[in-house]
Amino acid sequence: MSDSGRLGRRLSRILLLLPYAIQHPGTTVADLSRKFDIPKTELINDLNLVFLCGLPGYGPGDLIDVDFQDDRIFISMADYFSAPLRLTPAEGLALYAGGQAIAALPSMEQADSLKRALQKLGRSLGADGEDDDGAAIKVRFEESPADHMEVLQQGLAQRKQVEIEYFSGSRAEFSTRKVDPWGLVAALGRWYLVGLDHNSGEERMFRVDRIKSAALTEDDAPAPDDFDAERYKGAFVGREDQQTVTMEISSDAARWFEDYYPVRSSEELGDGWRRVELFSSSDTWSATVALKLGKEVRNVQPASVTSRGEELAASIASRHS
Amino acid sequence: MRRIERLINLIAALLDGRRPLTATEIRERIAGYPTDNVEAFRRAFERDKADLREMGIPIELVKDEEDQDAYLISPQKYYMPDLDLQPDELAALKLAADAVLGAGDQAESGLRKLSVDAAGDGVSSPQVVWGADLAAEQPLLGPLLASLLERRPLRFGYESGDGQRSDRHIEPYSLVHRRGHWYLVGRDVDKDAPRSFKVSRIVTKLTQGDGTYDIPADFDVEAHIGLEPWELGTGAHATAKVRFDATLAWWPRQNMAHLSSEERPDGSLDVEMPVANLGALVSWALGFGDRVEIVEPPEARAEMLRHLAPFLEDTA
Repeated sequence: MSDSGRLGRRLSRILLLLPYAIQHPGTTVADLSRKFDIPKTELINDLNLVFLCGLPGYGPGDLIDVDFQDDRIFISMADYFSAPLRLTPAEGLALYAGGQAIAALPSMEQADSLKRALQKLGRSLGADGEDDDGAAIKVRFEESPADHMEVLQQGLAQRKQVEIEYFSGSRAEFSTRKVDPWGLVAALGRWYLVGLDHNSGEERMFRVDRIKSAALTEDDAPAPDDFDAERYKGAFVGREDQQTVTMEISSDAARWFEDYYPVRSSEELGDGWRRVELFSSSDTWSATVALKLGKEVRNVQPASVTSRGEELAASIASRHS
Repeated sequence: MRRIERLINLIAALLDGRRPLTATEIRERIAGYPTDNVEAFRRAFERDKADLREMGIPIELVKDEEDQDAYLISPQKYYMPDLDLQPDELAALKLAADAVLGAGDQAESGLRKLSVDAAGDGVSSPQVVWGADLAAEQPLLGPLLASLLERRPLRFGYESGDGQRSDRHIEPYSLVHRRGHWYLVGRDVDKDAPRSFKVSRIVTKLTQGDGTYDIPADFDVEAHIGLEPWELGTGAHATAKVRFDATLAWWPRQNMAHLSSEERPDGSLDVEMPVANLGALVSWALGFGDRVEIVEPPEARAEMLRHLAPFLEDTA
């Protein structure tokens, strides 16, 4: 991070600390430290800096006054810092888009509160505060079956196993599975259930729209303490121990390919094509990726994927001849 | 004096100011600037202005009473308006902020601004069990939204799907997140027609165009971007009939309930789908392996066979 980035973050933090301390006279260092998630020493450095600043003249009546009484903090002579800075467009967008994504979750208990909050937030984005400028931001997720989402959310909240009937795109087959639900993650505009799959004994992601039925069970489902939804950003993060396949894709396909598939590495070939190595969940899954590419793909390895692709292609073609 | 103190002094003076300050007044009166070296002051002040604007602090250049260039920070533009958020509304926003993946820092700092007047503990939460990857960390999104909110036209270089680069002049109407990607929808001034642009394909910096514009009251963003994958494209709209095997008939019933469908004696289900782009339809259908058949139109069946040809043994 650049020096000006660090400086900007510290300044932003001070411009937020000040209004809070001014609006809550007598707040403590411990309160501030918790509320803003800053170590106490840094916080005290910030406060020590603030009372060197103020208005031109810079005499006793011009400088910001920071008064420590035991552990309590009183800030005065800084009325101009008694309200925080407006949301930046990036902050407004992140909050508003996040709100829309969550408000669309079926059986979201807080949906009404969230909708009211988004309306107020939307009005505050524009300069005049009259129009609901949030309406200009739209987040569209593919619809997820509300009944399943409700069951999955219950499983998460109650820490109970769920039993799902699942159509696996990667195997083109059905299975019934028991899953310890760890989290729900939306990626590429779709919701996925993340959890421990008891059939394989491994962590898996399941597309919620491909769940045919979902039921809550009575069995306890512990979740890891360190579950981090952030890890699933970009959806199909491959695991290093996972199998990979390679294929060569055209420059046209290369423009969008990495947005949709878990590419482990890729290299430019001399003729404008690229060789990509991607994490594979099964030969059928990899073969389907290749089939979708049509003439934009060549030289798929290993041979088992190619033969699975030919088998599938023949079967599909026979239905379309 | 450290630079951060000078920046706080500058904000304080311009925000509290009864009147705008000229550059000379800033140099002479605000603590932290080199008072006797005009050139050094100019460099320092330019850098300060740029960094503060980058943080979203609205430093404006105006004319003072004597018609000289002067600077101010308008309280109306600086301060967070009072949104009168109720505790339940704030709690709901906190849930949303927790769920944003990638741009979580932005969401969190935004939430902190919104909750300054609320007592109680901070906004950090122990564990996020659901999260949405909104690709909201892309650096262009903030500036695009700023232009939209200020109704300022934009110019940028854009690379379309076929690799063609062109310069675009756009009045932004909406930002849409769909299937994991952000799109800017707006009026293409040169073409005088609505267009949508994938934000990740904007390949230059944004430059502000002149003037301002209005978003038509009857503008419907859904009409420009509300399409399903098989509808994407510019081809003529047609209706396709797609057959799901009996084992998979539940899928369209569950996920495409708004489309008309008909069950056949063997339990399979025929679904009628609007289609603009046959290639997109074929690619989408292939995601179901051999459990889905495109029944109509004949061109789509032919397209499927053409698409699969490289994988079929040469029977000629």
